[in-house]
Amino acid sequence: MAVIEVNNLTKDYGHGRGVFNVSVQVEKGECFGFLGPNGAGKSTTIRHLMGFSKPQSGDTKIMGMDSTKHSAMLQNTVGYLPGEIAFPAGMTGVQFLKMMQKMRGVTDTSYLEKLLQRFELDPNMPLKQMSLGTRRKLAVVTAFMHDPDILILDEPTSGLDPIMQEIFIEYILEEKKRGKTIFLSSHIFHEVDAACDRIAIIRDGVIVSEFNPKILKKESDKIYRVTFEDKSQWKEFTSRPYQFVSVNEEKLRARVQLKNSEMNAFITDLASFHITDFTEFPFTLEDYFMQFYKEDKIFEGVK
Amino acid sequence: MKEKNRVTRFFSKPLMKQNIRSNYILCIAILIIMVLMSNIINFAMSIMQSATSKVDVSTYQEEFYTYLGSLATYDQMTQGELSYHDFIAKADTSEYDIAFSMLNKQAGTTLSVEGFEEAITGLKQSNISIDTYVKQFEYSYALAQTKGVFDQEELTMSEMLSTTLEIMGVSPDVVKRMGEMDTTAMLNQMYYTVIGLLPIFILVVILANSLIAELVDRGSMAYVLSTPTKRSAVAITQAVFMIIVPFVIISVVCMTRIATSFLFFDEVNVPGILALFAGMYVLVEAVCGICYLGSCLFSQSKKAIGFGGGIATWFFLASLLGMFGSENMVSTGMGIEELSIFNKLTLIGLYDIDSLATVGTGSVDTAFVWKICVLVAVAVICYIAGAARFVKKDLPL
Repeated sequence: MAVIEVNNLTKDYGHGRGVFNVSVQVEKGECFGFLGPNGAGKSTTIRHLMGFSKPQSGDTKIMGMDSTKHSAMLQNTVGYLPGEIAFPAGMTGVQFLKMMQKMRGVTDTSYLEKLLQRFELDPNMPLKQMSLGTRRKLAVVTAFMHDPDILILDEPTSGLDPIMQEIFIEYILEEKKRGKTIFLSSHIFHEVDAACDRIAIIRDGVIVSEFNPKILKKESDKIYRVTFEDKSQWKEFTSRPYQFVSVNEEKLRARVQLKNSEMNAFITDLASFHITDFTEFPFTLEDYFMQFYKEDKIFEGVK
Repeated sequence: MKEKNRVTRFFSKPLMKQNIRSNYILCIAILIIMVLMSNIINFAMSIMQSATSKVDVSTYQEEFYTYLGSLATYDQMTQGELSYHDFIAKADTSEYDIAFSMLNKQAGTTLSVEGFEEAITGLKQSNISIDTYVKQFEYSYALAQTKGVFDQEELTMSEMLSTTLEIMGVSPDVVKRMGEMDTTAMLNQMYYTVIGLLPIFILVVILANSLIAELVDRGSMAYVLSTPTKRSAVAITQAVFMIIVPFVIISVVCMTRIATSFLFFDEVNVPGILALFAGMYVLVEAVCGICYLGSCLFSQSKKAIGFGGGIATWFFLASLLGMFGSENMVSTGMGIEELSIFNKLTLIGLYDIDSLATVGTGSVDTAFVWKICVLVAVAVICYIAGAARFVKKDLPL
């Protein structure tokens, strides 16, 4: 049984904003990444999972329970990190943590202490005086203080410095090892790339692609750049029936896109040439993600 | 082991604690303003009452004038120079003894030095100086000596006064009413239906907004709802806060008012004051309900405050205008009856202080009962509608 289910969720805010027929399944122990530009519908989906909004059609379920009807009870097992940090006014970090503990009915503070240590957070200061980074850390600690089984994270690392981002991703990976189910939304490629088993890309409220990053990396085409010693060699190579991404006569370079199956033939072929340089351009999620952006832009241009 | 089914359904203590923490300064400030205002007005009223509550000196005045009249007649007859000033300046009253006994003989009256002295001490109880009475006597005496040149009718002081006023464009009726006007009733009307309500209205508008709409608008409601706290618990907790805070504030104001009333006045109608403040509380709760409803309806703080604040401001301004149409004001000539229509356009018009003030007196006017019931109904409906809306609506968190 999937721990988190989004079934044909539709919520139309008008003007093309909202989510349309979104379906997502997250299995137990899985880390699911929800990638998309700002305003694509990531937070809207999470809002429904948290029970803040009611779907127009479709439904959202956590542990098989409707998340709008049973939102309060589900909070015992869910840890939610909001995308925007807005603490209540006029209290210190310690008071805030105490209040959240009471509201959650958490009596054991040992896990909280561990988190505070891990994220190097001293909550003993008024919330208003905290820097953005400190507030972010406090939000993270608050979301996880009751050691929830399911983590719903809305752009978790925005506002954290690179070192803290590392620590955070490490923490997420550890939690995953402990069997936690994680639903992570982001527009930052590398945090999704580093942590997630499965990724869905959402654009304009519609899921445009869902894939496993490891398999994608393995199966996708690779691009190599070859530089030749002289012009005749270059001319001969460029006349071969490869799929060239680009050729540069002046610098005697050529970029070739290859499928995994063509790799052997390519290497053998290349052995007969005098080459001065051979470079692989690694596949990144960013490239893949940018494809969807680009398509969008072309589309906009045509219109 | 953690409990997985724990849910707060009706009331959240930590949330209430947070409400108190973030609002107590404002509440205390408003409380101090209200206590000061209520008791200073109470003090002013006691001063005003003692200033207007004159001892009835009309019999002494009559007697005093009789003596002055007799002395005037005597002076004319004997070319003497007896007068009030002469009488009090001289230690020797033998001259007067002679005069009075002579007059007694002539007219069969019972004038005496002791009687004159008694009239003087009696008249001194009033706030008006004896010299003024002497002066007035001079005018009346002079007028009584002659008749109108054209109509041959007797001239009187009061007629002269009203004629003069009419020439000046002032209706003599107004002046007469001003002398008789009930300033304490007017001050009560002003305090209970206008200025006494202003601070608590401001408080209510701010509180209602900060308890729900602002939390939703700023996003901190997300923290509350990411704990096992149902929205119904949030709605009820915040409503309870809105019900308790005005109650505490008005109770404290009421108690200090009763306490200072015992200091300032000889007679205190405690049930009457309690009824007035209880009515005020019901009225404030009706406004609370409206503001709470606005806070639940709108997810943007500025819209919520516009709704609640706008309605409360309207109520206040309409009541202010309506006050100038109230009976108390119209009868003193300071109001215009047509303005009383504003009292029908505000909920404050249902706060009937005239009939509430009769509680505890012999003749209780029960006209306030249905009005209070309407206010209670408004409060209850608004609270329930607001809570129901908040539980159902989409939150932009």
